[in-house]
Amino acid sequence: MVSSALTIQDILPFRANNKKVDMDAFLPFIVLPFLLLIATISRTITIIIMVVIGMGVLYVYTRPRQKNRSPFFFSWTMSSAVTMFLVFEIIILGLLEVTQLENFIFLLLLACTCYFFYKMKAIADFELATGSSKGKEYSPVLTSDSYYCQVCQIEVNERFFHSIWWDCCVLRPNYVYFLAGQICAFATLLFGTNLGLTTVCQPFIFYGLILLPEDCNDAYYEFETPVEKTCERIKRVK
Amino acid sequence: MRCSYRKKIIYGVITILIFIIFSHPGLYGRSSYEFIEKHNILKYLHEEVNVNLTSNAFTNCDYHDIINDETTLSPNLIEGDLVEGHGIRDGGEYIPQDCRPKFSTAIIVPYRAEQLRGFLVYMHTFFRRQRIHYRIFIIEQVDSRPFNRAKLLNIGAAAAINAGFPCIVLHDVDLLPLRPSNLYACTKQPRHMSSSINKFRFVLPYLTLFGGVISIRTSQYKMVNGMSNEYFGWGAEDDDLYSRLRACNFKICRFGPEISQYHMFSHKLQRKGKLRSDLLSFARKRMAADGLSSLHYLEVATVLHPLFTHIMVDL
Repeated sequence: MVSSALTIQDILPFRANNKKVDMDAFLPFIVLPFLLLIATISRTITIIIMVVIGMGVLYVYTRPRQKNRSPFFFSWTMSSAVTMFLVFEIIILGLLEVTQLENFIFLLLLACTCYFFYKMKAIADFELATGSSKGKEYSPVLTSDSYYCQVCQIEVNERFFHSIWWDCCVLRPNYVYFLAGQICAFATLLFGTNLGLTTVCQPFIFYGLILLPEDCNDAYYEFETPVEKTCERIKRVK
Repeated sequence: MRCSYRKKIIYGVITILIFIIFSHPGLYGRSSYEFIEKHNILKYLHEEVNVNLTSNAFTNCDYHDIINDETTLSPNLIEGDLVEGHGIRDGGEYIPQDCRPKFSTAIIVPYRAEQLRGFLVYMHTFFRRQRIHYRIFIIEQVDSRPFNRAKLLNIGAAAAINAGFPCIVLHDVDLLPLRPSNLYACTKQPRHMSSSINKFRFVLPYLTLFGGVISIRTSQYKMVNGMSNEYFGWGAEDDDLYSRLRACNFKICRFGPEISQYHMFSHKLQRKGKLRSDLLSFARKRMAADGLSSLHYLEVATVLHPLFTHIMVDL
């Protein structure tokens, strides 16, 4: 009986902590799609929402770092990526204007991005767990190339910086993956937005090579028809 | 270690699943499709002129250089003017004077409150380079019901048949052909001419698309009893025509993507009509009863303007 009372007491505060952490992690998955949905109303509102999000990011950077690792920013990164992916694959592909090869290239770039960032996080977590970057002999004295990461609350060697958006430290071992991930992410975003904008806007051929968006005046009118058009066309194809 | 191994397996499986899901070809438009090669085009063209066409020229027109023309016209021509002495007769009819044309085409354009002057200037400038006998019919819907593109095309086709044209081109008013090598003449099978539109990223959304600009022989159009008159509002009347053609075992053909380039003008959103899928699923059954044979409308006026034949109707 005593043991059961102890276990209940143990569970309760643990659960309270868990709830707070979960809220932070799920908030971006609700807030971000909602903001983006509002942004589709008109061009002015799109600009306002983008400025608000940009200012929010700047504010976050100027705040003093929290002691605890908050999952909010990492969740924001993940929810951005997931929202962009879903919007692209469901709505843009639904207009039947992207070819299979183009989508394959996009998915390949996206897979490379995800792989590099996953490796980066895996290495950072591994270093944190095993502490092998601290050197073979544990020394209680901070050496010149060891830093104390306030957010991770641990001492790491050769830390370049702590990235809140990926919720991990970027160290020498995983810096290559960080760079490669950034380059792949840039390529994916560039290609994805080119495909998306040339689908929604009126495109033109630039020097006979690539399509670029030209006239986006219709983009806000078109919003009601793509989903309906998609369903109709898929039915007809069948 | 086992946990991370399991996570890796889950991520790998999700990645593979995503690639498998997105390898279904029905999800995509097509940048390449089956088409008639450039050197075969002249073989596939159906040569027929109006029965009452008289020409004072000595030689037949030669179309080899037109088919092999690599130039592209700019849509900015809509802001220009026609050349002086264009020789276009009242009603928008033109017969080339320097040679005897081999093709007679009626271009039928359903219309309501769009930009017309630019379209006409561009099309007459475009056709000067093609040396065909053509006439432009603009069918305008003057009532306030939703736009019924198919019925207007039926009315225009009936007018073209009366005027003796063997070949008709059903043309949307917001599409401009960019290549003079895209000959506005009929092929032996009905042809989907607008397969590479700039608005659709020069990609064909689906293989059975039959909207935009199509060319069809009047004998074939009569055989399928034209288009259905029931489609008020946007959408599906082109797929109805396609299913009628399939029911009569007609196949459609296209020219290559470079030749079939079109420029689409942005236009206001059109409201979709109701009951689309119901109409479309019974397309074949309605074929005999609904079409050219059951065309009832009020003809408000027919005017022969200098650049086009204007037929105003109340549906």
